[in-house]
Amino acid sequence: MDILVQTLADGLVIGAFYSLIALGYTMVFGIIKLLNFAHGDLYMLGAFVGYTLLSLLSGSGTGAGLMGIVVVLLLTMVIVGLIGMGIERVAYRPLLLAPRLSILITALGVSLFLENGSMIAWGAQYQVYPLQLSHDGWNVLGAQITYTQMGLVLISALLMLGLHQFISRTLYGKAMRAIAHDQTACHLMGIDVHKVIGLTFFIGASLAAGAGTMAGAYYGTVNFMMGFIIGLKAFTAAVLGGIGSIPGAMLGGLLLGMMETAGTFVFGGSWKDVVAFSLLILILVLRPTGIMGEKVTERM
Amino acid sequence: MSALLKLTDVHSFYGKIEALKGISLEVRQGEIVALLGSNGAGKSTTLKTISGLVRPGSGDIQLEGKSLVGWSPHRIVEEGIVHVPEGRRIFAGLTVHENLELGGFTQRKEKAVIAEGIELAYALFPRLKERSRQLGGTLSGGEQQMLAICRGLMARPKLLMLDEPSMGLAPIIVQEIMEIIRKINGQGTTILLIEQNAKAALRLAHRGYVLETGQIVMENTAEVLRGDESIVKAYLGA
Repeated sequence: MDILVQTLADGLVIGAFYSLIALGYTMVFGIIKLLNFAHGDLYMLGAFVGYTLLSLLSGSGTGAGLMGIVVVLLLTMVIVGLIGMGIERVAYRPLLLAPRLSILITALGVSLFLENGSMIAWGAQYQVYPLQLSHDGWNVLGAQITYTQMGLVLISALLMLGLHQFISRTLYGKAMRAIAHDQTACHLMGIDVHKVIGLTFFIGASLAAGAGTMAGAYYGTVNFMMGFIIGLKAFTAAVLGGIGSIPGAMLGGLLLGMMETAGTFVFGGSWKDVVAFSLLILILVLRPTGIMGEKVTERM
Repeated sequence: MSALLKLTDVHSFYGKIEALKGISLEVRQGEIVALLGSNGAGKSTTLKTISGLVRPGSGDIQLEGKSLVGWSPHRIVEEGIVHVPEGRRIFAGLTVHENLELGGFTQRKEKAVIAEGIELAYALFPRLKERSRQLGGTLSGGEQQMLAICRGLMARPKLLMLDEPSMGLAPIIVQEIMEIIRKINGQGTTILLIEQNAKAALRLAHRGYVLETGQIVMENTAEVLRGDESIVKAYLGA
């Protein structure tokens, strides 16, 4: 029993990170039918920007209090969000009308650019995060659940709730959903489609960056390649939930995190990625539309 | 009556195919103008060129004397031209209410205007009010057309362009839609209308243009066009 609870709790934290990243994947796919393979690198960028901001903060002698951490998190999200928008403007927008393959290859190029750019900026070695999170916690049914874990899941939940509110209540959120349906009709409503697409990239990138900062603090080290595997995992989560579906991405991330953690427990740590990607293959074979996905007709 | 919209020698291309070969027309303040012609004559392309979905190769498009050539579609809507496209293009996964709200996107700074527009739409079509929480895709064809027209009105257009509002609808519904168009016009909105159903269109319109292979071959008052048997047979169908 204690092992089950521990697995669920650990899986929930990882799953929350997957969900946050998967949201960006799924939103971008929903709106311009692009699998943005550079998305995982925005998570990495979030971790590094957070790292730099925290270093500045603790370097000035004040130490990073709780307020400081929240400010760093928000600031990181804004900075990386703007970078995400910039990427859309420079790399993807000129190719919106080009065949899908061109823009997909561009995404891979952007990914390489971000990875190597970060290596130049922050170095190739692992960096230790300038933040020690508490290892205290509660004992729940024999399992150790730390305050940190609870805090991270709570922040993630708040971010997702905020996104949900934005998408379902605001006019820009509705416009995002509408563009996913019919871009031409949106033009005719007087919606500045490019602006809304830019906004989508901003939100997706900032959610990934939030996950990145939190993951950096949670795991303690960051590296320029940390976005690669987790990007693929988040993609798996998005497919699991049904790509294009926002609740699907949230659910898919949490499920994947927990299944992966459970798989690690059963098969051992070295099988972690095998579990996740086997799952991807299984979904693609058995239910390509995912749990909550709608049938999509391919537009080339 | 002054010209609200004026097209001067407009040429439009799809790739290398010249779809419009020098269209000149004008729509005056307060009019209903019908654009008639067979399939492929260039009616829809004309509307798409006006609304900015298709960039004209040459020629000028003016709204109240201001040239709109090269503007992006959303700016043209902001300027006061709304295009209700062929096939209605309702957002199937959004509710009726949300569809209407998005129609008022250009009015987003003033929530009261959007709320008022939605009330007007519901007054115009009480059936939409009953279905306001339903997804757009669950509506019948006639209801979708009503929603599409109302969604267009939400932007408070000076000129409303309707592309085949009667397509695929039962005759009784067509009649209802036509009445509504007349009503909207009566409330001061100028209308440019494309219709396959030429008889119905000419009963409604003040003037008409007949298009053939990308050119205007005839223009006159609706009365004259209606009375000309040969025209009715040649261009307008039975």
